[in-house]
Amino acid sequence: MEAQSQEEGQQTAPAPRPVGDNSFNPAIGVVLNAMFTDHSEDEVGLPGFQLGHESERTEKGFSLGHSEVTMSGNIDDKFRGALTLGLGAHGGETELELEEAYVQTLAGSGLPDGTRLKVGRALWTFGYLNEHHAHGDDFADRPLPYRAFLDGAYNDDGLELSVVLPGDFYKEVGGGLFRGGDTPFGGSVSGREAWSAYARIGGDVGRDSALRLGAYILDGAAHGRSGGAHAHGDEHDEHAGNGHGDGYNGEDGHHDHDEEHAHDAFFSEGTFTGDTRLLGVDFRYTWAPTGNARDSELILQGEYFRRIEEGDYSLEELECEESEVEGAEHHHEVCEMHLDTERLNGDAHGWYAQAVYKFLPQWRAGVRHAQLSPPSDAELADDISTISAMLDWPNSEFGRVRFQYNRESFGATRDNQFLLHYVMSLGAHAAHSF
Amino acid sequence: MMMKRTTLAAALSIALLSPATADAKIRILACEPEWAALAEEIGGEDVIVHSATHGRQDAHYIRARPSLIAKVRRAKILFCSDAELEVGWLPVLLERGAGRIVQPGQLGHIMAADHVEALERSEVVDRSLGDIHPSGNPHVHLDPRNMTILAEVLTERLEQIDPERAGAYRQRLASFQARWADAVAGWQERATELHGMKVIVYHKAWVYLLRWARLERVSGIPPSASHLVEVLEQVRNIGAGAILRAPHEPEDASEWLSGKTGVPVVDLPFTVGGSPEADDLFSLFDSTLALLEEARDRS
Repeated sequence: MEAQSQEEGQQTAPAPRPVGDNSFNPAIGVVLNAMFTDHSEDEVGLPGFQLGHESERTEKGFSLGHSEVTMSGNIDDKFRGALTLGLGAHGGETELELEEAYVQTLAGSGLPDGTRLKVGRALWTFGYLNEHHAHGDDFADRPLPYRAFLDGAYNDDGLELSVVLPGDFYKEVGGGLFRGGDTPFGGSVSGREAWSAYARIGGDVGRDSALRLGAYILDGAAHGRSGGAHAHGDEHDEHAGNGHGDGYNGEDGHHDHDEEHAHDAFFSEGTFTGDTRLLGVDFRYTWAPTGNARDSELILQGEYFRRIEEGDYSLEELECEESEVEGAEHHHEVCEMHLDTERLNGDAHGWYAQAVYKFLPQWRAGVRHAQLSPPSDAELADDISTISAMLDWPNSEFGRVRFQYNRESFGATRDNQFLLHYVMSLGAHAAHSF
Repeated sequence: MMMKRTTLAAALSIALLSPATADAKIRILACEPEWAALAEEIGGEDVIVHSATHGRQDAHYIRARPSLIAKVRRAKILFCSDAELEVGWLPVLLERGAGRIVQPGQLGHIMAADHVEALERSEVVDRSLGDIHPSGNPHVHLDPRNMTILAEVLTERLEQIDPERAGAYRQRLASFQARWADAVAGWQERATELHGMKVIVYHKAWVYLLRWARLERVSGIPPSASHLVEVLEQVRNIGAGAILRAPHEPEDASEWLSGKTGVPVVDLPFTVGGSPEADDLFSLFDSTLALLEEARDRS
């Protein structure tokens, strides 16, 4: 067999491996995900921030989170395509979300070496977590800045070009153009409202550890961006003015509560039209103390984001007046929706840092601290912060069970969250990037 | 002025084109140290070889590190074991940065298991069977006869990728094959003395060595502790001369079994760099046989 392949002509590549009919089918992978959650506080949001579906806490009790179906394969010698459907259960309804549907170039596409073009909808390169599917995360939920700034992840429609530069040292630069239809943008008018750029460097540190650093910008315009989530978990209860911030603000007895709340409401319940810019830096460091990552491994990871917004927050409020109609015997209340608009410049920050340690081949423990500073104009005195601890047990590379405890703090409020979580994947499972 | 511009243009084009000309060394990224060692034997000073893993690592469990993306981008040859051993990270490298020449089906893509008779191909493929490799056991390097085949394959690819130095590659191949054939003849003889030696192994690292040296596998150390008791029974009934262990294999189970049965644990290098003695392919097999002989003499 070997002798034969050696005698082949000078130009021909080795014969491809024989393929059965199935080899032409796309690779199909399914990720199953479920959670049991308990909270000590009933109503909490992220004061000063809009809440989207993905930025809500997980529902109390049993919940499914996101199940995913991914199909991927090479299209021809130049392109590869992938489709990921997310099936989410929100408030008793099943929602189908097109998480990713993209085509990307292969090495034979004719683009210069190290260059890749990705077009469609994808989890774009921004920070560390964004480009990864959430099922691969080391914690059961995304950290505060991802919830507040990106509604979990930024997967807009658009394109991205990335280039791995030559050299023994890893250097990658890239950038994209996007529709502007996903948080932190929304309600795209022109269909090309946003752009991004990034740079990453990295390399080995000694024999058994590796480091990667990155800097990112995501910039564009939002037209009427709204949260769209139901912080109360009860759709009928939702009306303007009864906001996500209540759970926190209602209890801390702050003297200028009303005024503070008025500002907060603009940010958490209003719609935003204006320019928004996200700046970010990230790092990730891995170390295998024995040299063999199968036995033990330490992973340190952190990201910092700053969001600069300039524009109008608008809030519809129900305003009622009691009017006495002449001659009538009883009072009459007249209510009408009133659109309040306020120009706000919000500069918000958020970061997290985490350490995950595999102390036995099948056990990992991790801690994470995340902090979020609401927009300066929201005039909220306190940051939101979460301390998390997790323990997980991967039975194999394809399934893990995880326990996580979060302690989320805002002002005097403490929300203790307990999460029991499994993530299992069947079928094809893509290799994980660093 | 005109002259100057032409000279400048010429100088510039030389500067830009020079990396592609013959004096540039061929960069080879090997997934495991044994293939890096073989690439050095054949490529000599005409190549720059990097290994993605070192002797203490389990090649199945490394990450697609940034440094590997940088290395694969410059590589003209990617030399790996395959049979799904590198499935957790190699696809990322191929997708991220790797040139066309190292893509599957191209000249610079060498997967050792494709060129030799792979053992333990499984007909039944199901994840419930654990960490299985449908296209066979990937650790083909521990049968020295496979090295002969792969040295040929590599030389042929180098000749096509870098025809100007084809002669040098051929020459090094001839030298390697002669030395290797001598060495293998010696090892075969030593292995004859080991025939039938009863050994206990971890589940998959040693298949090729066992077949080549005709060692008898008494039992395999299972990944979970509950099955260890069954192994203990087997070992007590049949007896064994050694528990073979690679540097990347866990210590606890073998120590426990050794403690219960008195069968010594023999730490074999498994690959180049797996022990201080095993610093090239020749010393890898020399020291492996020496350690096995030592264990046999003790029992």
